[in-house]
Formats: sequence, C-alpha cells, structure tokens
Amino acid sequence: MKEGGQIEMGIVRSNDEVAPDHRILAIELPPSFGDGQPGQFVMLRPGECRDPFLPRPFSIYTMDRDGESVHLYLLYRVVGKGTVLMASLRRGDTVMLLGPLGRGFDPPGEAEKAVLVAGGVGVAPLVCYAERARKTGSGRALEITAYVGARTEGILVGLDRLEALCDVLKVATDDGSRGYNGTVTELFRRDLDKFRPPGSVVKACGPKGMTDALRDIVEREGLYCQVSLEERMACGIGVCLGCAVRVKGDDAEPAYLRVCKDGPVFDMGVIYRDDR
Amino acid sequence: MTGDVLSTPNMAVSIGGGIVLKNPVMTASGTFGYGEEFSSHIDLSRLGGIVVKGLSLRPRAGNRPPRIMETSAGMLNAIGLENVGVEAFIAEKMKFLRTLGTAIVANIFGDTPKEYGSVAERLNDVEGVTALEVNISCPNVKTGGVDLGADPVMAGKVTRIVRKATDLPIIVKLTPNVTDIGVVARSVEEAGADALSLINTLKGMSVDIESRRPHLGNITGGLSGPAVKPVALRMVWEAVRAVSIPVIGIGGIMNHEDALEFLITGASAVQVGTANFINPAATIDIIEGMERWLENRGIADVNQIVGTLDLS
Repeated sequence: MKEGGQIEMGIVRSNDEVAPDHRILAIELPPSFGDGQPGQFVMLRPGECRDPFLPRPFSIYTMDRDGESVHLYLLYRVVGKGTVLMASLRRGDTVMLLGPLGRGFDPPGEAEKAVLVAGGVGVAPLVCYAERARKTGSGRALEITAYVGARTEGILVGLDRLEALCDVLKVATDDGSRGYNGTVTELFRRDLDKFRPPGSVVKACGPKGMTDALRDIVEREGLYCQVSLEERMACGIGVCLGCAVRVKGDDAEPAYLRVCKDGPVFDMGVIYRDDR
Repeated sequence: MTGDVLSTPNMAVSIGGGIVLKNPVMTASGTFGYGEEFSSHIDLSRLGGIVVKGLSLRPRAGNRPPRIMETSAGMLNAIGLENVGVEAFIAEKMKFLRTLGTAIVANIFGDTPKEYGSVAERLNDVEGVTALEVNISCPNVKTGGVDLGADPVMAGKVTRIVRKATDLPIIVKLTPNVTDIGVVARSVEEAGADALSLINTLKGMSVDIESRRPHLGNITGGLSGPAVKPVALRMVWEAVRAVSIPVIGIGGIMNHEDALEFLITGASAVQVGTANFINPAATIDIIEGMERWLENRGIADVNQIVGTLDLS
C-alpha cells in the first residue's frame, strides 16, 4: 500500500438512502486501489466542482474486491453542502478519490473481547473493524460486543451488519424509541463488569460528547481504547496541518497531531481533554 | 527523437540570484510539506522548484484548532506556522530533498528581525538549499509576520538582515494586506532581495451563525484558492511595474490557464498552493498543460510569453 494513498476515478454503483438523511455510496474502483484497513479513510470529490471547494473525508464502511475491481462503500449523513451534492450522485457518475489514508484501528491481536462504541454514523469504521476481525485468525474467536447510539430509532444505521458480525448488540437512543433510553456510553458503563483489561479492548467512533464521556470511563477502568476522530481537512495527506488535534504534552506549550496522518484513529490516552 | 526535441518548448526560466528553474512551476510554502509527502503521487524531480513549509529557529506547535474553514472557491487557514524548526529540517528533511534534482527553496521566518537572520545564517552552508524565501507576510502569527511585511521600512530592514546573514539568493514573500504593494516591493528590492514572491494569503474571517463563534480558533485566517486569484494577479502586475527584479506569482492557481495569466502579466515563475490539497498531482498537470499550450501555438520558449500583457 502506498503511504499517501493514491488518486483514482471511481464510478458510482449505487447511492441508496438507508435512513432519513443517511446513505450508502457504493463506488467501483480499479483493482490497483490499495486495501483499506478498518479506520482508514478516503478523500472524496464529487466531480470537478469548485463549490464545495475541498474534498471530504469519509471512513471506509466496507471494502471488498473481485478480480476486476474494488468495491468501496461509504456510509454518510447528509449534513452540509458537500454531502448534499454527494446525495445527488447517481449510478454511473464519476467521483475522484484519494486513499486509503491515515492510521486505522490496530487488529484485535491477543484480545479476547472487543467492545465497539458507536454514535450515529460513527458506526461506519466499527462495522469495517468487526468485518475484518471476523476474516482474520484470532478475530474469529473474538467476542465482539457493540453499543450503538443515535438520537432516535429512525436514524440508527449499520445495525443489520453488526447483528451478523457481533456476539452481542445493544442499542441506545436519546428519546428511548429503541433500546436503552439514554446515552450509548451510559449503556456501556452498566456492562463494565464484563470487560476487564487487558483481555478487553474498546474501539470507538462518534460525536465529541460521546468520546469525552467514554474517555472518563476507560481511563477510570484502565481499559485500552482506540478512538477514530473527525476534523475538518483540506489535504488528507498531512501537509496542510489543518486537522490538528491537541494531544497531552509535558510542557505548557500545547502539542498537536494531525487527524489525517497521525490518525484518524488514536489511542484515547494521548488525546487532550478539551472542554471548550 | 529529433523532432520531439525540436517541438518541445523550452520551459527553463531565471528567477534572479542566478537561479534557473527547469520550468516555471514551483510549490507554495505550507501546501507541500517537506516534499516527501507527495512522492507517492508525483515525480518530484519534474517540478520547477519546491518551497518547503516555513522554518523558524525553534519548532512551533501552531495555533489552536479549528484551523481551516472552507469558503466559496477557497479556504481560510490559521495554521500558525507550525513547523519542525530549522535544525530538524536540516537533519531530517534535507537528505531526501537534495536528491531530487530540483530547486529547493527554504521558506524562513522569525519572531524578530534578528531571528530571521539567525535562521538564514544556519541554512547558508546547508548542501542542497538553492535559495531562501523570506516570509514577512503570514497573517496568522502575532509577532513578526504580517506587521513586518506591511511596513516598508521593517520589510527592508528584515531583508537587509537576511542579506547580511547569507550568500544564498533571497526571495522575499509579500503580503497583499497593504495599500500600496509597490512601496513595499521597492523597499525590499533596495535592501538586496533577488526576487519577490506574492501574494501570501488575504486576511479573512468566517462565523458560525448558530454558535456565533468564529469558525477559526485564531478568529481570523488567511484566504487562499481561486477566490483570491484576481487580487493576486492585480498585485503581481503592480509589483512587476514597481521593481526590476523577477517576480514570482502566487494566488489561486488551479490549472495551466491560471499560471499563464500570471506569466503574461509579468511573473517569471509561479507557485501552486491550495491546488495541491484538492489534487496532489496539480503541479504536474499544470506543467504538462503549459507545455501543450505552448506547443500547440508553436511557441518555442516559455520566456516568450512572460510580460507580454497587451495594453494597446
């Protein structure tokens, strides 16, 4: 795999709505496109447009290959100018892709239990993680428990995939319309006695509020946790320094890492708690 | 092959201080890292030159996030000159850069005029450094930077200090955030600059109407991209008329047509910046596009179009 990803033109195969304002874009790419690891991402430009000006980063939801091509699936939420344009893509349209990029999740290794904590579309890289774990040696015996949260039942996404891949799947909604009535981190916290270090590892992706709450839990319990972060990006390959995330440092001088190149997956322990 | 050689236009240009670039397309500082990051996308040896991320005496952490915001046909950035520092650059980055066979321009800055001199002095004898680009124009740092570049006297002073500190050719990078670019350009020329490069970013701002907070952690940032190109072109035109040293055009260049506009206006070379974020191969596309454009018109030498703006 090339370190800085590669530029390829992809052909849209489908772009189906899976929940209100949530879609899965299926893209066909040439076989030369590198194998993406769970947690890695691609920069996508929907054609030769200047508005929106910048490409957008998306975590890999699923990726597979047959002889002639690579099939890449991106799960996304329609939130702004870029994703509105993306939602208008039709079968046969072309997109420009740069990827796969960044540092993904570490494979399960010696872990016996993996805990996935997802908020909203943050489920995407975790589905990819579970799927890849099931395909590799030790991952087949791995006990995977997934906690998935959303505002309301209608926008819970990725559950069908996780049901097939996980041993246990638990759901939380803010309005109680499905599963636990509350936050996904609280739902996970209630099950903590089932997960002890070092045999259990946590993989997470979701909004900042979820990540902050999860940090408090895993730090208290000494659980090893990797989290996939999101930040506005321009280049995706580590040169613009736009996607800085503050990390813990020894001195008063703040230190930053790049979400695109040093991440997007980080050990939770290195991230500075920013209470802004 | 003889036929090919004859039909391929000469792309080499001089940018002052005895520097000859193999073609007029360089990368702009802060948009190309230290070169190596692009090595999997393009053949770096084909570039006219690489201008590296701005270097200071000591490493800098940069500004607090968020650091970028998209705008209409452009982007705002407030990175804050995050960089590895001149020592790490020499120890870790130059080894790769000096193998490329293209001009390597070290962009430098300091918190004080004296610090500019110290960085310049440190780079003076480093093998493989072709020239220095003196950044007196970053809008995102509180000391040095834009205030120096907006004041013709200070701009001249910094240039003189760097001139004394190094034998390397000096390119001085100017800010557009001034009333009269000609005055600053002349001051820098008189102080011993071998060439000028412009424009750096235009100071701008963007607000989130829901939170009522600025989109950038630094509140203001520098605007770049196609949105600034007409301003850049106008200022290059003014600078070219004000000085007799070469001018390097920068600002929103996305394709070879944009680059040609700058050359026709009088720029001896161009730097491609924000386009590298959108397409890592933008520089090569521009070089090839320019070659084809010249070929198709039977123009044997790119220098034949430099400064040919027809005002009749």
